[in-house]
Amino acid sequence: MPTTVGGIFADSNEDEMPVTYEELTVGYEFPPASYELNASLVAKYLRAVDSAGDDSVPPLAVAARALAALAEWLHLPPGTIHASQDFEFFKLVPVGGTVHCQAKVGRKLTRGSMRMLVLELSVADSRGQKVQSGKATIILPA
Amino acid sequence: MIEEIHQGQILPPVVKHITQEKINLYAEASGDFNPIHIDESFAVQTPLGGTIAHGMLILAYVSDMMARAFGMSWNSGGKLSVRFKAPARPGDTVTVAGKVESVEEEEGTSCARCSLECRNQQGEAIVVGEARVRLG
Repeated sequence: MPTTVGGIFADSNEDEMPVTYEELTVGYEFPPASYELNASLVAKYLRAVDSAGDDSVPPLAVAARALAALAEWLHLPPGTIHASQDFEFFKLVPVGGTVHCQAKVGRKLTRGSMRMLVLELSVADSRGQKVQSGKATIILPA
Repeated sequence: MIEEIHQGQILPPVVKHITQEKINLYAEASGDFNPIHIDESFAVQTPLGGTIAHGMLILAYVSDMMARAFGMSWNSGGKLSVRFKAPARPGDTVTVAGKVESVEEEEGTSCARCSLECRNQQGEAIVVGEARVRLG
């Protein structure tokens, strides 16, 4: 049975713990996670971004949940900020659909007190078809 | 949705006022409770000097502008690449703007390349970047 972490189902061993920046290496793959984009979650998202929406989940809502799934496995210190972001959208997900998210460390850079991570994400639907991919660059506080 | 896309076209802008309430709502919706966004007493002690909006909240506005302009072509064929230049803070009014820089053939499909920027009410760039949309 997958572990339930804040509504996100991690398809992994229950004993796995969040990792820290120091423990990460380039190529490290986070445990894959699955999550349902149910109507309640989508409604909450649309209210937050002040958008009307339709029968599909906004691509950025899918991305937000993918990053949240990732955050369950990566211990980031308070004050971590987003420096840049790339996305490619391939298909929409209907409200109520389930998606699967995979993420890995693309780059890790420490320069003086600056610590930076590039995280690569890939999201697929329940048929395994690619929904979106992304690359997030984050800067951790000194 | 725009009927005909051409080089030089200005995309209809999206203007949003940022409030702490909206940031808190976004934290709830996204599951991102980093205190830099929601805890003023924490944020004021950081170099940022106060709470800031989630970068992904601002990108939601960018994506909204692109979806209004390009419809399904954006949602299932869009590419976005942005840098966060400055934080958006509670009280800011953010204007998301875009321009079609070129319309080119890519792998047999017509593709629009757009420049993007979000600026606050003082004209300071918050997000800059580029988007590509397959129009086929």
